[in-house]
Order: sequence, then C-alpha cells, then structure tokens
Amino acid sequence: MKTVVIREFGDVAVPCQYELDLRITAPRDCTGCWSCWLKTPGRCIHKDLDAFYRAYLAADKVIILANVSKGFVSGDMKTLFDRMIPLFLPYITYKSGESMHVPRYDKYPAVEAYYQGVFSSEQEKKLYEDYIHRVFYQFHSKCDVVEPIAQFSLKEALR
Amino acid sequence: MNILIINGSPRGKKGNTEIFVKHFALGIKAPCEIRCAANEGSKQLAEYSQLFDTVIIAMPMYLHAMPGIVMKIVEHMEPAEDGSQRIGFIVQSGFMESAQARYLENYLSGLAKQLNYTYLGTVIRGGSAGVSMMPENMNKKLFAQLKTLGEQFDLNGSFDKEVIKTMARPVNLSKGKCRMLQCMNRFGIGDSMFWRYMLKTNKAFDKRFDKPFRNSSGTT
Repeated sequence: MKTVVIREFGDVAVPCQYELDLRITAPRDCTGCWSCWLKTPGRCIHKDLDAFYRAYLAADKVIILANVSKGFVSGDMKTLFDRMIPLFLPYITYKSGESMHVPRYDKYPAVEAYYQGVFSSEQEKKLYEDYIHRVFYQFHSKCDVVEPIAQFSLKEALR
Repeated sequence: MNILIINGSPRGKKGNTEIFVKHFALGIKAPCEIRCAANEGSKQLAEYSQLFDTVIIAMPMYLHAMPGIVMKIVEHMEPAEDGSQRIGFIVQSGFMESAQARYLENYLSGLAKQLNYTYLGTVIRGGSAGVSMMPENMNKKLFAQLKTLGEQFDLNGSFDKEVIKTMARPVNLSKGKCRMLQCMNRFGIGDSMFWRYMLKTNKAFDKRFDKPFRNSSGTT
C-alpha cells in the first residue's frame, strides 16, 4: 500500500512513501491564473508541488494531519487544496445533481484526515469535518475519516 | 462609517472579484478604501483592517471556501475589543448554484461571532467565472445589482436582503436543469464552449486532457 502523509503537526513518523510537511515547505499560493486548465493543462505555473502531485496520484491512501485554525483549515492547508485543482479538469459535470469538476486522472487516493485544535462550538466542529469531507468528495476521493488526532493514535496503538 | 473593502482574489486587480468590488463601490459615498490581498502581507492587512469600523471582504470561491490567501488574513485577525466593528462578505463563484458556498457562508457567519464583529451577511453570486471576459451588456444586470447593493449599504450600513436573495439564484440546480446542462455539454454548447474557446485561443486544446503527473506504471 502506497501512503502519502500531509502534515501540519506532530513528530511521530508515519510509514509512507512521501511526506509533505507544511511546516517546512508551505506551498506557494494559487494565483488564480488558470494556466493549469487553459495554458499548460494539468501543470501549475509553480513547480514546488510537482513531486507531491506525482506521489499523491500514485498513492492508495493519503493521511492528513491538519491543524484547526480559527475554526477552519489553516491558510497553508487551504492553499494546498487550492493548488490541487490542476489534478482536475475545468469542465463541469452535473450528473450528481450539482456542479462538479470532471476528473483529469483515472484514479485518486482514499483520504483520512485527523485534526488537532479546539473549536468554539459543536457546530464549528461539524462544519470543519463536513468541509474536509466535501473537499475530497469534489476531488473524487473516498474520504470516510475526518476525526480528532486522538482517534489516529488509538488506531495506531491497536494496530 | 469608514469602510475597508479587501479584494481577496489571488488575481488582484485583474480578476472578476475586482469588477464586483468596483461596481459595489460605485454606490458608496461614505469613506471607502479598497486594498488587494494579492499585493500585501496578510498580517499587515489584518492589522490595517482594525482601523476601520466596517470591513468587507470580497473573494472568489475556491473549493467551497475562501482562497488560501484570504484564510491567511483571517488567521491574523484579532477579536474586536469593544464589539463596535462590523464585517460582511461578497463571494463570487464559477459554479452557478449558490448552495456550493454554504460551507463558506456558515464559516464566515461563525467567524464574525468569533471576532466579536457584527455580521453583515454574505452576498453570493454564482456563475461568475466569465464576468471579466463577457461583453458589457451581458453583465448589465449584475452591475446594476452590485451598484444597488452598494447604495443600500451606504444608506443602511447593511446588505439589502432582497438583492442578496436575487443574486443567490439559483440556490440549487433542479434535476431537469442538470439534465439539460449535461445534454448541452454533450453537444458542446454548454459551459464547455467557454473552455473550448479559451483552450483554443491558448493553443492548448489538444493538450486539454493531459495527465502530466501520471505515475510511470500508468495506473493512474
């Protein structure tokens, strides 16, 4: 099983083929130029995530260790999500009953997200979890797990 | 009322958000300053926003939420001490149905509370990806709505609820509408027409389905 880790916190090594540590390499912000759709299809004008894109697409599973920042995903994590749009086509499908981008690749990895941080309300926590589910639904990935980090430690301990 | 409008588009002055901001600001007579998130440090802009009693953040929707650069400003915003500040948002998105922005809208209303700001609401307008490329007359209705929104804001210090409601249509796509749009796409007359035109203009049409990061075993 090929695993990719996207990490914003923690030092515990998770066995994987590729790790993107946002604390070390914060991705460059999306410039909204649409080059990845309309000029150099599939390729961003920034090259800092090329190795990540390749690893992500080759992975069976992606584990995200995400911070909670002001009740939402952090700016760096959001930038990473923005920068994943080259992996999808500009075309829109309405087959699911709403607008969705058409996949560019045949297969995308399953995603598990574990988060660290505090919420001011249950509602805020639900929104955070729903949002991450939604992003990976839009990204055509199976994402069954968006849980507090304690759940990840527990699962690791039981393994 | 002194207003700061932050254009949160990564495209800065060249994008659709700038057009939204300009037409909204046309209706405003109160002191109003416009700054671009794309050209400034997120921390400086967050600090600068504290000097205004009213802050409006306009942005394109990226992945059902704000662009990364806007979240970076939000991360630097401190709760208002006396609760006298107010904040509102204008969101424009490529997807035509405004329900796609419900995560963002819910987050922004909660954020206002977290920051101890009075929440002025979120204006959402879908189907806006091509605004900057469309001929003036095709945007006439939108520009009039934005100006009215600005005028009402200037008068009442809030977004006009009726205009918000009108601009948010369609909220969802009906089954029939989805079938029709899907069918139009199949015949190349739907929104795919726009992409085809742009790709051909850039001489990239033949490369539109490229998979540059497919792994070497060819399984993706």
